Amino acid sequence: MSVPSSLKVGPNTTLTLAKKRYLIFYILLIWISIFTIQFEFWLLWDIYDIGYEYNVHFYLFLPLMVFVMYLSAIFVSLIFAKLMLTIVNFIHKPREGIFLRHSSDKDYRYWSIRSVIKKWPLWISHKFPFPFMNNICLKIFGVKTRFSNSLFEGFVDTEFLDFGKNVVIGQSAIVQSAVIVGNLFIIRKTILEENVVVGAHSIVMPGTHMKKNSILAGSSLTTVGQELEDGWIYLGAPAKKYKRNVFSEEDLEHIIAEEIEKEVKIDIKTEDLYTMRKDKHTKT
Amino acid sequence: MSDSLDKEKLNSEKIDYTIDFVTTSAVSKIGIKFLIFYIPIIWASGYMATAFFFDMSMIINNWVVTMFLLPFWIFILYFVFVFGVALFTKGFLLMINMIHKPKEGVFRAEEGDQDFEFWRLRVELKKLVFWFMNNGPLPWIVMWGFRWLGIRVDFSSHMQDAWADGGFIEFGRNVTVGQGCVVMSSMVVGKYLIIKKVILGDYTVVGGVSNISPGTIMGNESVVGAFTATVPNQHLEPGWIYLGPHVARKLKVNKYAEQRRDIIYRKNVDEETKYEVQQEVNIDEDKKRLLNNSNKEE
Repeated sequence: MSVPSSLKVGPNTTLTLAKKRYLIFYILLIWISIFTIQFEFWLLWDIYDIGYEYNVHFYLFLPLMVFVMYLSAIFVSLIFAKLMLTIVNFIHKPREGIFLRHSSDKDYRYWSIRSVIKKWPLWISHKFPFPFMNNICLKIFGVKTRFSNSLFEGFVDTEFLDFGKNVVIGQSAIVQSAVIVGNLFIIRKTILEENVVVGAHSIVMPGTHMKKNSILAGSSLTTVGQELEDGWIYLGAPAKKYKRNVFSEEDLEHIIAEEIEKEVKIDIKTEDLYTMRKDKHTKT
Repeated sequence: MSDSLDKEKLNSEKIDYTIDFVTTSAVSKIGIKFLIFYIPIIWASGYMATAFFFDMSMIINNWVVTMFLLPFWIFILYFVFVFGVALFTKGFLLMINMIHKPKEGVFRAEEGDQDFEFWRLRVELKKLVFWFMNNGPLPWIVMWGFRWLGIRVDFSSHMQDAWADGGFIEFGRNVTVGQGCVVMSSMVVGKYLIIKKVILGDYTVVGGVSNISPGTIMGNESVVGAFTATVPNQHLEPGWIYLGPHVARKLKVNKYAEQRRDIIYRKNVDEETKYEVQQEVNIDEDKKRLLNNSNKEE
C-alpha cells in the first residue's frame, strides 16, 4: 500500500487559490513554523556546543530531533491558524447557503480567507508520514471526526463536515462541503454516519447525507443534497441504489469466500448504467 | 432516469452476497500501536545518513568546499536515508512474516483477527517506505520499492504514478499502469477483508484513474480504459479493450496490439493483393526529391 504518488490525485489542501491580498496570512504561518525549526536547531546546537571538536550526542539525536522539529512546526502553525480562524470567525460567522461567487459577497470572501489560513497547516500535516496527523489537523479546524476514521488517502474539506465512527475514505476520493457552480457558491453540511465507506475515486458532493452502514462504490458520484439510505450500496454517477449491504452481518466468511471464486456476469447486471456503443467492431 | 438500477431485483427478498462493486483498501482503522515501528526505523536510517555526512565532513576539512558540495550532499543523504528505511523495513517485514505468513482469503476486519492485524501491520510498514520514495526528488525509484517489498514486477513495467497495495500483485512484461490508478489486492467490505492476488498479463495497459480490484486477472494485451473499475475476481479476456464508467465491460478487440506483432504481417502479405501506397512521411523537402528519383529509377 502506498500513498498517492508523484501525480497528486486530489488536492491535499483546501480548494481555493491563495488570493494575493490574503497571502499575508499564508506567509506569516510559514514564517512562524520555520522560525520554530530554526529555534530548536539553535537550542540543540547550543546545548551540545559543537565547535571544532565533534560531538557524538549531537549526531546521534539529530534524526529524532528533525522529527520533533517537524512535529513542532506543524503544531505551532496549527495553533496560530486556529487563533486566526477564531478571530476571522468572530468577525463573520461561517454559515451554510447559496452565495454569489464574487468578491463583493461577504460569505465568499470570508470563505476564501478561511481557506487560505488552513492551507499551510493542512499541507504540512498531510506531508507527514504518520496518518493520524491529518485527523488532528481536521479536529483542530472544527471537523467532527474520530481517530478511528481513515481520511488521509482522500481529500476531505475542512469545515461543515460530520463524521461518525469507523468512516473510511478511499484512495483519492473527495468529500466536499463547498462547491462552485458557475457563478454560484454553495456551502452545505455533509454528514457521513457510522461505518460509512466511500470507495476509491468517488466524489461526495456538499449536502450529502450518508446514513449508517451505507457504501458508495468506487468511481461513483453523489448529487448535491442526496440522501443515501441506511444499509444500502450505491453505484453510478449520479449514485443509484445497487443492492443491500449485507456484509456487516456475522459469519459470512465462507459464503463470501465461495462467492469470490465465482465469475460475475457484470455486463448483464449493470446494463442500466450504460449507453451501449454499437458499431461493426463491437461483438457481444 | 430511474432512482434505482433494477426495482424488481432490489425489492426481492433474495439476499445477494456477490461482491460486484469496488470499495477501498485504505486501512479502516489507524493502528496507532503499530506506529511504534516507525520510530526505530526512522531513527536508525536517519542515523545512517548523519553518520555518512559526519564521515564526509571529517574527510573534507575545508568548509568552503563543504558549502560548495552541500546541495549534492543533501541529495545523497536523502537517498541514504530512504534506502536505510527500505532496508530496516524489509528486516522487520521478514521477522513479521516468519511469525505469521501472509495468505489470501476472506477474513474478519476486526481487531482480534490475526490475519487482519498482521495485514494492517504490513500495510503500515510498507506505507512508510513508499511515502518517502514518492515524496522524494526521484519518485520513479518507487518501482524498486515495489519490487523490494514483495510485488512481482520487473523494470519494463511502469506504475510510478499509481497507488498500489504492497503485496499479492504480479506483473507480466511491459505493463503500463496509468496516472492515479488504484491497484488493490485487498479490499474491506463491511466487516470482512478480502485478499486475493491480482495478475496483470504481458503488454496490458490500465488507463488513468481506474480501479483494479482484488482477484482481477488481465489477460495478455488486454486494456482497461480510463475511469473504469474492475470487479473482484473479474477475468479480462486476452486482447480485448474494456471500458465503462464504474464497472469494466467489453468494448472491442484490441487491434492496436496487433500492430506490434510483426509476425502476423509477414504471414498475410503473400495471401493478400498488394497495393502501392504513397505515404506522407516527415521528410525535408530536398530529401523528398531524392526519394522520388530513386522510385523512378526502379
